[in-house]
Formats: sequence, structure tokens, C-alpha cells
Amino acid sequence: MIRKKKKILGMAVVMSLATSFPLFAQMSAEDAPETIEIGSIAEMYEPVVFDHAAHVLMVESCSFCHHHTTGTAPEKENCAKCHQEGDEASSVACVDCHEVKPFSSANLKAKGSDPLLYHVGRPGLKGAYHQNCIGCHEQVGAPTGCQDCHARNDKGDQLFHSGKYAPEPGKTGGHH
Amino acid sequence: MNKLKARGFSPVVTHRKEDGSRWTVKEKLMLGLTPKEYWATQFKNPFNWIIAVIYAVGLPVLVGRFIFGLGWATHSSYDYPWGLFLGWGLFVMVPLSASGFMMGTTVELFGRKDFKSLERLGLLNGLLGYLFAVVFLQVDLGQPWRLVYPMFVSLGPAAVLFLVAWHVATYLSVQVAELVPAFSEWMGLKKPKKFIKSIVLGLTISGIILSTLHQGALGGLFTYTPGKLHPLWFSSAFQWLHFFCSSIFGGLSMLIVVSTLTKWFMKWRCDDKFLKNLDYCTLGLAKGCSLALITYLVIKIIAVAHDNEWGYLFSGWGQWYLFELTAGVVAPMVLYALAIRNQNASLARFAALLAVLGIALNRMNTALWAFNWKLYQEIPHWREVMIAITVYTTYIVVYRFVLARMPIVYSWKGDE
Amino acid sequence: MKKINRRSFLKGGVAGTAAVATTGLSSKASAAGDFGGYPDSMGVLVDLTKCVGCRTCEAACNKEQGLPAPDLPFDDFSVFDMKGHGGQKRRTSEKEYTLVNRYDIPGRDKPIFRKFQCNHCQEPACLTSCFVNAYTKTKEGAVIYDESVCVGCRTCMVACPFYVPTYTYSSAINPVVKKCIMCYDTRLKFGRPPACVEACPQEVMTFGKRKDLINLGREKIKRNPGKYIDHIYGEKEVGGTSWMYMSDVSFDQVGFDTHLGNQPIISYVKDFLAMVPMVLTIWPALFTGFHLLSNRKKANEEKENSKS
Repeated sequence: MIRKKKKILGMAVVMSLATSFPLFAQMSAEDAPETIEIGSIAEMYEPVVFDHAAHVLMVESCSFCHHHTTGTAPEKENCAKCHQEGDEASSVACVDCHEVKPFSSANLKAKGSDPLLYHVGRPGLKGAYHQNCIGCHEQVGAPTGCQDCHARNDKGDQLFHSGKYAPEPGKTGGHH
Repeated sequence: MNKLKARGFSPVVTHRKEDGSRWTVKEKLMLGLTPKEYWATQFKNPFNWIIAVIYAVGLPVLVGRFIFGLGWATHSSYDYPWGLFLGWGLFVMVPLSASGFMMGTTVELFGRKDFKSLERLGLLNGLLGYLFAVVFLQVDLGQPWRLVYPMFVSLGPAAVLFLVAWHVATYLSVQVAELVPAFSEWMGLKKPKKFIKSIVLGLTISGIILSTLHQGALGGLFTYTPGKLHPLWFSSAFQWLHFFCSSIFGGLSMLIVVSTLTKWFMKWRCDDKFLKNLDYCTLGLAKGCSLALITYLVIKIIAVAHDNEWGYLFSGWGQWYLFELTAGVVAPMVLYALAIRNQNASLARFAALLAVLGIALNRMNTALWAFNWKLYQEIPHWREVMIAITVYTTYIVVYRFVLARMPIVYSWKGDE
Repeated sequence: MKKINRRSFLKGGVAGTAAVATTGLSSKASAAGDFGGYPDSMGVLVDLTKCVGCRTCEAACNKEQGLPAPDLPFDDFSVFDMKGHGGQKRRTSEKEYTLVNRYDIPGRDKPIFRKFQCNHCQEPACLTSCFVNAYTKTKEGAVIYDESVCVGCRTCMVACPFYVPTYTYSSAINPVVKKCIMCYDTRLKFGRPPACVEACPQEVMTFGKRKDLINLGREKIKRNPGKYIDHIYGEKEVGGTSWMYMSDVSFDQVGFDTHLGNQPIISYVKDFLAMVPMVLTIWPALFTGFHLLSNRKKANEEKENSKS
């Protein structure tokens, strides 16, 4: 399922810039930007510069991450029952399906009022990113530490009581 | 003091001295001795020196508990919220103080005036036991000013502890009232005694109700812990009955133990009636105890059968449980029966000691040792042990103080 | 109890019992047994299979609840190897309302992590055991606590089947109970999820109406055949909890008590509570009767004696 290729191949991919998406039945990786900066949901971390091009080369199909939206055949058998090959969605951006605030009152209300909703367990954007990335990274032995992908900023250090905000060593209090 | 008595000293038993003048309260407090004599006897008493040593160590630790908090003084933890102060101070002290309502019921309600000479000792044993259970509670909570919260500030009437709080508080006042006659005789006040006499039946019945409920409620507290207390000690249906029933022989046995100690160490204070009746009363109490013990044993066995816990008996916990039942219930039961049969009061006294220890073991097992049986054992901190000993010593000191003065084990002569 | 005579005592006893029987103890106790939780209360479904043990939830909780600084930074993973009393794993404390523990399961390719905090029972044992009514189960589902009335008896800690409430043992003047309140004051009240839920990068926790979450959990079990244990822990345990869990290893392997049963804790107490009004009503009459009987006997004996 996953082919690991040398990163150098990823670098060799040439991007065609300034082209709108043609009405192909399937999108191709060349249509996507080489790198994507993911920073919209990061508060405690520097944005992630996601090397899309490099990751494209490691997987067989866009569906590995994009499910069915790119028009490639879905990986999961169950998904294929509805989403066929060539069935391209109007948007491939993660954020257009995975909400930034999945548990906001409005979202919960919308989901709750739709008894026919099929994708009941669809994670929010942050969950989708991490589950997808870390899930795969764990399997292939890629880095899984938080700061392997995004460096924590000062606010993050503060939250984690780490870095310059670390507690004094040896000062353990509290009760047994 | 026993030696003094042998040399011809007789402690205060009446309001008037031999020359016809009244004893002052101060003189009564000194038992009719001159201050010099009084303090001399106190200094000669080796038991006072033991108490002094206990206080020398214990009082600073007790003070420390209120300065540095419970975490400093005890091993109480998030897993083991209750330690010795409640395990011993509340759960052991209260059943051993059930003698108050038992003796009240026997004498006032069933009209068994032949136990009259032990009634007041039973009442005093009850009052002081409860009083010091509350003291232990205060040492544990450390916020005396919040003691009235469950009464007046914020009420949670559906909680078992709510019953305990209200009933112990009301019962404490009932017991104070029941002992007013002894105090008013000693002080030479007539009215209060007369008043209490007129309501003694109401007091006694309320004593029975309150005692049934709060002795049971202490057991009821552990019905909140089905997942924590070992199944052999836990019984949703019978826990309150176990606690109530065992408090009957617990209180009576404690009374036998205390009266024995009084007979040994404070013979000078006992009058002839008390001493003469003691063996008879002891055997009478022994009868009550043996009946309560057999009832208790049966309910204990029914509880095991009810929840089908026979399998647990073969585990290590089962052995411990059987030890508790054998040494603390079966043995005193058999010894009591033998004592009654052979009219052997000394044997009954030994049985009483076993029964008291058995109660203590049962309550400690329930509150501490068999609690959290799936986790780990908690061993009390030495400061916790020291504080418990100090408070218990204070209990003994107060007990002795009252016993030496008020007409508890002797009759006051010449009411005026 | 001061000015009591037999008649007023009996009167008071009966009236008091009637009042207790109709309004107090028994009604509240029986109502508690039938209480299945507020219909639209919120909950959290925790999918243990997703947790990676990053401890972000712990850090978020610490900040949200204004808790004291931790002993070790929240990105220090050596805490997973820490052993407490009796070899116990870490547990919550007055300084940490939630935490994550690591469990190495033989045969599982990676360790599994379990988040621990108050489960916010439908019928909380802490609430029902509290004699100063310090606890409240809000309609949103949170079990909150009013420390201003707490006496410090710690019965809630004894009663809680999950060992959740903790106590500020270090405080001498005003020790109080501390526990997770589902961020009620700052978030839940306003319809927002607890801080730990929102902070979790893996979206291990799903926030929503409890009844929806149960359906979601079942759906996930169904759609991922063989992945999950066919059980949602907390759906029924001790009467149901607002926080529920899904796992791919059996729950007792990750520190859950699987022997708690489905009855709320208060149901074990009811045998005793039911006895209370009985004693209050029957005892006065019964023992007055005993007294009259034993005295009558004596009077008769005296009569007999005087005759003969």
C-alpha cells in the first residue's frame, strides 16, 4: 500500500503553476501545490510546512489521504459503496469537510438535527490532520513527536510548563 | 487512692462535712482531701506519669496537626480518605458506647431495677464515648466552625452521614440530659433532677430510636462502597444490621470491661451496693451479650449466604474474616455461655474483653484493612497513631475525673 | 430535645416521620433510583485507541482550571513510568484533575493510553453521599462542587467508585475537595466542550449529547468490525456516566474496574434508607408498649402479692 521512495524523487517533481484545475475525471498530484503551510489551527505551535509533493510519492493513491474527493477510487471497501472512481468532489481541501470547531454548538446542533447523517464520526480539522499524519507515521516509522512536525512557540512552552517555563528540578511537592 | 481508703479515708458522698458545714465545690473537686494531700496522691500514681509521657509527646503532635494540616499528621490519601481518627475514633468508639441506651432501656423501659447500680456507669460510658468520637471527628476535620454546616447551613438529608450527624448530635444531648441527675445531686440542685425524672421515658425511647439509627447508619456509610470494601465485610442488605446488632454486645461488653477496671483501680470510689451487685449485673449483662452475639453471628452468616460469598472464605481475606468471627464473636459467645452456666463473673469479664477487641477488629477491618482490598494496604503514620493515643488518653482522663467525683458508681447521700 | 415529654415526643416523632416519609429521605432516595440523567445532558466519548499520550489534555486542564505548576513539564514522558503507592499508576490529585497513563499490553504492537478524570456519573455517589449537599449534577451533565459548604468529611472520596475526588490535605485552615468539573464554569455552561477535549490534537474525545454519543459509539463499533471491544464503558456502569470509553483491549487491562455493576451506588444504600422511616414510626410505639407491658406485669404481681 505504501511505497517509500527516496525524497529526492519528490524534489524532481515539476509543478505547473498558474493553471486552473482542468475538468479531468481524476485530479493529478501535479495540480496540487508542492508545499502547504498548515497554520490555521496552530496556536501553540509554528505552522507546519507540509511537503505535499514528497508525500504524494509515498502513497499509491490520493485516496490514501483524500478519501474520495480527488476522484481516485476510495481505499476502503465501505466507502466505495457510494463513492466511485471518477466521482470527484468540488473541493479537496481538508477544511471544507473537517470543521475547525467540530464541537461548537452550531455544529452539534446541525449534526443532531440530521437523522440521516451518515458520516457521524467525522473528526474535526485538527483531529483529521493528526489522526491521518500520526497514524501513518507510526506505521512507517516516521517521526511522531509533537515537535518533529511543528516547533512549539512561546505560548506553547508556557502551556506545557516547558523550556524556560519548566518547573525547578527537584522541587516536587504535593501529597502522597 | 485505694491505699488511702484502706487507711480510713472516705471520699465525699454528701453535701455536709462531719461538722455539719457544706463542702464547697472546690473541696468536692479535691474529693474531700486537702490540696496538698490531693496532689500528693496524684503524684504517687504511676498511671499519671504514663499519661504525662503520652502528653509530652502527643500534645505537640496534636497541635502540629492543626498548624500543618492533615497531610502532615496522617497517611490519609486520595485512595484512603479515612484513617485512624475515624476508623478508631468514630467507628470503634461509637459501638463501644452503646451501653448508654442499652442500660437506659433495661432499667427505665423494662423496669429492671436490679441493674440500677450499673445504669449510670452505662450512661457515662455512652456519653463520654460519643463525646470523644466527636472530638476525634474534630481532629480529623480540623474545621470545628463548620461542624454546624450539615445542621443549618447546607442540608443533604438523603445522605447517610446526615443521619449520623443529626442523630449523634441529638443523642449526645439526650445523654447529657440523662446524666443531669448525677450532676445535680453532686451540685446539690434539685430541680433539674426532678425535671429529667419526669421525662426520662421520652429520653430513653428517643435514645433507642437515635441509637438504632445512627449505629446502623455507621454501617450504612459503607454501603456506598460496594466496589471498594471486600465483599465479606460488605453487605448492602445487612450492613446496618451488622453494625447495630454488634453495637449491642459491644456496648454491654465495654461496660463490663469498664466496670471491671473501676472495681480494680477505683474501688475506693465504689459503694457497697455497686460492688455487691457487680457480679450479678455482670452475669446479667453477659446473658444479653451472648444473645446479641448469637444473633449477630447468624446475620453475619446469612449475609455471606445472601450474596453467595462462600468462595471468598477460602482466600487469604476469608481466613482473616474467619479469624475475626472466631476470636471476636464465637469465642466470647462460648465463654459468655460458660460463664453464665458456672456463674463465673471473671470468665464473663474475659469474654467481654474479647468481644470488645472483636468489635474493634471488625470496625477497623471495615474502615481500613478490608477497605480498598484491590489496591494496597495503608499503614497509619506514627503521628496519626500518637494523636489517636493522646485523644484516647484524654478520654480516659476525663472518664476517671468524672467517675471519681459524680455519683456514678456510688449513691449520693442526703439530697437537699 | 430539651423540653420533651412523652406525648409531645410521640407526636413529634410521628409527625417528623410522616414529613420524612413524604418529602425527605425516602422520596429523594426513590427518585434517585429512577433518575436516568437529564435528557439533553452532554457527555464525552473517549476513544482510547486514538490517544498517543502527548499529555496536551493535562496541560490544557492545568491552564483552564488555574492549577498550580506541575512538578515536571507536561512534555516529560517519564511520568508514564512513575509508580505510586503499592505500584499504582499515576492518579489525579489536588493539582491535576486529569491525566493520561500508559499501559503496555502484551501482544499489542504499541502501548495504549488511558485518560483519567471525573466520569460525571448520572447518579453520582459523591453527590448522594454528601451530607451538606455540596455536589450538583447540572442539566448539562457536569458534577460540580461547592467548596464553601464542604466540611471535609471525605465521604465522597470513600463513596466514589472511580477514586476521583481528591482533597487538599496540605491545607490546615480550609481543606477542600478538588476534582474535574467538566470545565462547567468557564465552558460547559456556555455550550463549549471542556478544555481537554478541545486541546486534544488527536480528537480522542468526542463532545456531544450523551445519547448521541452512545449511538456514535455503537456505530463506530459496527463499522469497524473487529477493531473495538463490543462495549462502551460508562454507558451503563454504576447507572451510567457522562464520560464514556471505547477501547480495543479489554477494559480491565487499562485500569478500569469492570466489576462495578450497572446499579448506581445509591441503590446499595437504599436497604438502609428504607429502614429509617420504619424505625422512626414503629420504634416509639413498640417500646412504649414494651414499657407498659413490663410495668403492667409488675403491677399485677404486686396486686397478686397483696391479695395473698
